Amino acid sequence: MTARTIGDQLRASAAAAPEKVAVLAEGRPLAYSELDEAADRLASGLAERGVARGDRVVLALPNGADMCVAVYGVARAGAAFVPVNPTMKAAKLGDVLDRAAPVAVICDEERAPVAAEAAGSQIEPPIVAGVSELSSAGTLPSPPLDSDLAAVMFTSGSTGEPKGVMLAHLNVAFATDSIVEYLELGADDRVLSLLPLSFGYGLSQLFTCVRAGATLVLEAGLGFVGRLVRILEEERITGLPAVPTVFQVLTALKGLADRELPDLRFVTNAGAGLSTPAVDAVRRTFPGARLYSMYGQTECTRVCYLPPDQLDARPASVGVAIPGTEAWVEGPDGTPAAPGETGQLMVRGSHVMQGYWGDPEGTAAKLRPGRWPWERVLATGDLFRTDDEGYLYFVSRTDDIIKSRGEKVAPREVEEVLYGVAGVVEAAVVGVPDRLLGQAVHAHVVLEDGAKTDPESLKRYCAERLEDYMVPQRVVIQEALPRTPNGKLDRRALAVPAALR
Amino acid sequence: MSDTPGDVRGQVRAYIEENFLYLRPDLELKDSDELMALGLLDSLGFVELVEEVQNRFGLEIQDVDITEQNFGSIDAIVRYVEGKGAAAA
Repeated sequence: MTARTIGDQLRASAAAAPEKVAVLAEGRPLAYSELDEAADRLASGLAERGVARGDRVVLALPNGADMCVAVYGVARAGAAFVPVNPTMKAAKLGDVLDRAAPVAVICDEERAPVAAEAAGSQIEPPIVAGVSELSSAGTLPSPPLDSDLAAVMFTSGSTGEPKGVMLAHLNVAFATDSIVEYLELGADDRVLSLLPLSFGYGLSQLFTCVRAGATLVLEAGLGFVGRLVRILEEERITGLPAVPTVFQVLTALKGLADRELPDLRFVTNAGAGLSTPAVDAVRRTFPGARLYSMYGQTECTRVCYLPPDQLDARPASVGVAIPGTEAWVEGPDGTPAAPGETGQLMVRGSHVMQGYWGDPEGTAAKLRPGRWPWERVLATGDLFRTDDEGYLYFVSRTDDIIKSRGEKVAPREVEEVLYGVAGVVEAAVVGVPDRLLGQAVHAHVVLEDGAKTDPESLKRYCAERLEDYMVPQRVVIQEALPRTPNGKLDRRALAVPAALR
Repeated sequence: MSDTPGDVRGQVRAYIEENFLYLRPDLELKDSDELMALGLLDSLGFVELVEEVQNRFGLEIQDVDITEQNFGSIDAIVRYVEGKGAAAA
């Protein structure tokens, strides 16, 4: 069965093995036929409520069966899903609603008050409801084409203003097939994912498992790690995708390396790079599993992966372009850089996004004219180099985005919240290397004389307004912030690791 | 220093208050409250907590022991630590 769209991919796997477990979440198995039928019911219900081709539907759901049904149901309705982090606060969700102008917000009971508050601030408030409430046994709307919009994924850019990455069905379906190919994912695989489905790397676990007819075991997060170790054993997990923070925790666990885990055949890393000692620790902890070191961007899902047989020769590399795509380093003059020379990573292939939602200027900066009149290539904004054999190495980001817990934190977004506090005259937020977080978020704040606030209240103020991962781990009150000779804020001086506790 | 069971409870509570409770000044944390369900600690917080418990009470904690039953609340942690005989350390 051809599978040009996300909905087709599920249809094909449900036809091949209807009884097979597609998703195991909260201890409850969901068979392929059940997921398929639930997605149809949601698509029918959305169509009955007037949801039409190209409409946006925001998904504010934690990892679980409902989120999986919502993704496929919205896609089958021909609408575009807009997943948001389930810890998102009302004000920020309101911003996403302002930008995406969705017709509906699908959430669970726990998030309904936040969603209703955000929706209430809209001129044309979207419907706020749960999956079952929106589902109906009516007729299915006509399916989308592969050129139709499948998803708008909001991701932090260098300015801090979240950008809505527009992915067509073609982009998602193509990336999914390419990833399934290099991971050699099959119907016998059982993948355990703790990554939020609102995050590109987490969402791709659902798409690749469904495409391969595999079973996805979903957890809401790392949780109590003893539970995770038990799931690895008892559910005979074959694949574990993670970010460095998760590996840091797992490799620090006593006894995990002594467990046999005979079924675990691969682990993958993305979201942030693994240091060479971390690569060694992962290999010691999971000696029977192949480690895939990968690099991706929401703008194209995945860019490259290191074939595991290359790990000994080049542990710091993120490898080669994923199958069916090309990735190269561009020098300052726009031509391919020589091996060893640092330049911007460029990407071409059918996985590259269609642009940023409502942002033609941002789109033009990121998508450049390509080899053909109809083609646009992705300028990643990240600096890379290659070795003599052409393997890719991440060098740095071209902006100051902080990567904490595998999530992107835009300093400006946190700084703007701090500027909302009376008495704050200057704020600078930087990433500081951290053993567990990858980078910790540190805020340096200058107060006016007599200001009535302190580091604890500032942290609390941030916690009330930002997603958990964006809240600074440390707030330092400064007399003044360091400057470079030409008067610009010296972020590098602030990012020197300070003694913790 | 000689730990008594009361010290285990006091030390665990002090650690949690100092490191996690400041985010929720309105919260009156009871010893039986579920720390993860309350949103007071996330998984990373628990790893830090387990590290702290290991170091402070001289325990070796196995991977599968990091569960809700053993670390879910202050009561649970006290039971677990005392069960491990840390008070004698």
